[in-house]
Amino acid sequence: MIESVSVSIMAPTGPRRLSQGWESAHRPAPSGRVAFVSDLSTRPRLVMPLAEHVAAYGRLPGGLTLGMTLDTLRAANLTGRGGAGFPFWKKLQAVATAESRKSPVVIANGSESEPLSKKDTLLLKNNPHLVLDGISLVAGLLGAKSAYLYVKDREAHSAVNAAMRERRERGITELRVTIVEAPAGYVSGQETAVVRRIAKGPALPQFSMDRIASSGLRGAPTLLSNVETFAHVAMILRFGSEWYRQGGQGGDRGTRLLTIIGAVGRPGVYELSPGASLAEVLRETEAPDPRAVLFGGYFGRWLDLSAPHTAKFPMDDAALAEHRLSFGAGVLGVVGRETCPVVEAAAITEYLAGQSAGQCGPCLHGLPEISTAMARIALSSDVERGMHDLRSVIPLVEHRGGCQHPDGVIQLVRSTVGAFAEEVKLHRSGRCTAQGSHTSMLLPPGASVSAGGAA
Amino acid sequence: MRLVIDPTRCHGHGTCAELLDEYIRLDKWHYPIIAKQKVSVSHADLLRRAAQLCPELAISVVDD
Repeated sequence: MIESVSVSIMAPTGPRRLSQGWESAHRPAPSGRVAFVSDLSTRPRLVMPLAEHVAAYGRLPGGLTLGMTLDTLRAANLTGRGGAGFPFWKKLQAVATAESRKSPVVIANGSESEPLSKKDTLLLKNNPHLVLDGISLVAGLLGAKSAYLYVKDREAHSAVNAAMRERRERGITELRVTIVEAPAGYVSGQETAVVRRIAKGPALPQFSMDRIASSGLRGAPTLLSNVETFAHVAMILRFGSEWYRQGGQGGDRGTRLLTIIGAVGRPGVYELSPGASLAEVLRETEAPDPRAVLFGGYFGRWLDLSAPHTAKFPMDDAALAEHRLSFGAGVLGVVGRETCPVVEAAAITEYLAGQSAGQCGPCLHGLPEISTAMARIALSSDVERGMHDLRSVIPLVEHRGGCQHPDGVIQLVRSTVGAFAEEVKLHRSGRCTAQGSHTSMLLPPGASVSAGGAA
Repeated sequence: MRLVIDPTRCHGHGTCAELLDEYIRLDKWHYPIIAKQKVSVSHADLLRRAAQLCPELAISVVDD
């Protein structure tokens, strides 16, 4: 295990956030619930040295047992931060109890294949030690013989390398983490694609009747989670589930990193504490005239802000679930009055259709048809036909892919025509409420699609 | 027993639908849709043979 098995945890001072000590750009709201962490620039940042990290968070706890840890994580109700939001303790338990002759494997996914997301890269660049702590603790509890960190960003890669060197030099004995480079592409971060890539295969999703928890990397029970989830594990196992929940009930009451982009004055990564209202988030991000928010990233769902009371609800997953929303991959895309959310969604759909791995027929053939239908609706060229085609093609695609890609696209499309039914009606008569040009605010830089750009 | 198709392997040859028209129909792109997943025991051999004849070996007959 890590350093000594001493249980005397140095009492950390200041706010115990994931983003504690990252740069000096913190400017929390008066309530402190929406903390600006960083803008979206990719300039190199100062990595928190190990000594500073230990001073801020304390040493790693020793003497943990699996049963104790499962109880703590269950009480904390930590859910995965990669998109699916699965309870972490269940994942840990599934891997720990998997019947296998092979030793478990731990994988931290930092590939951040969600194009608009920057939070994982920032976390790895600013405090790789927190993520390494989490991996180390989980690997130790599972008796894992190998651990991997899957990462795309070059600077994040070197920050983690430097941090691992520092830990070795400081005499920390722990399972060595192997860094595997994640290639570009939306599907490269899918669970089975990650496992396949680490096994030196292509970073493409793979169909399997087994869950990776029982048979993942080279058939071994595999615990794969997002890097932010591991950072939370490292915090919860230090400070406890009560600290994590901050007295809150129901759902996941911890803080979370969110990338907030689109029609906002201050796009960037924020650390959000539950209890903050959406109105508070929009105020802090300086959204001048928000009309709608895409929750969760490209596989997300829309919230139409013209509906009553929407800006008031608290930003925690229980409240979001009541609106059938989730934080998903940790991205909020804000749309203002300049662009049309239906056009935005059509542009994203076209981008995602192009990101299909092309392995499964229904996804390969169906997504371009769905994308064309969305373009017809968005650009008012033939709304009737577009809606008709969506109704006929979606059932041929849904649940028929080897991974979540096609179903994620369908979720976005359904949410779009559902949330903006009035807008779609307007498009039928060739009108649109957007006041500006038909360009997209929510496409990744450099993406070229025709639906959003060519109108 | 049930019929499972690996969609990442299937290339839409359609052999399965010809052999197993009771179980599989093809969509408009000629990819199989399982119409009946539960396999009756009397058809088990036929389904296993069909699985072997799939050019991409994308079909499995799984014992539950």
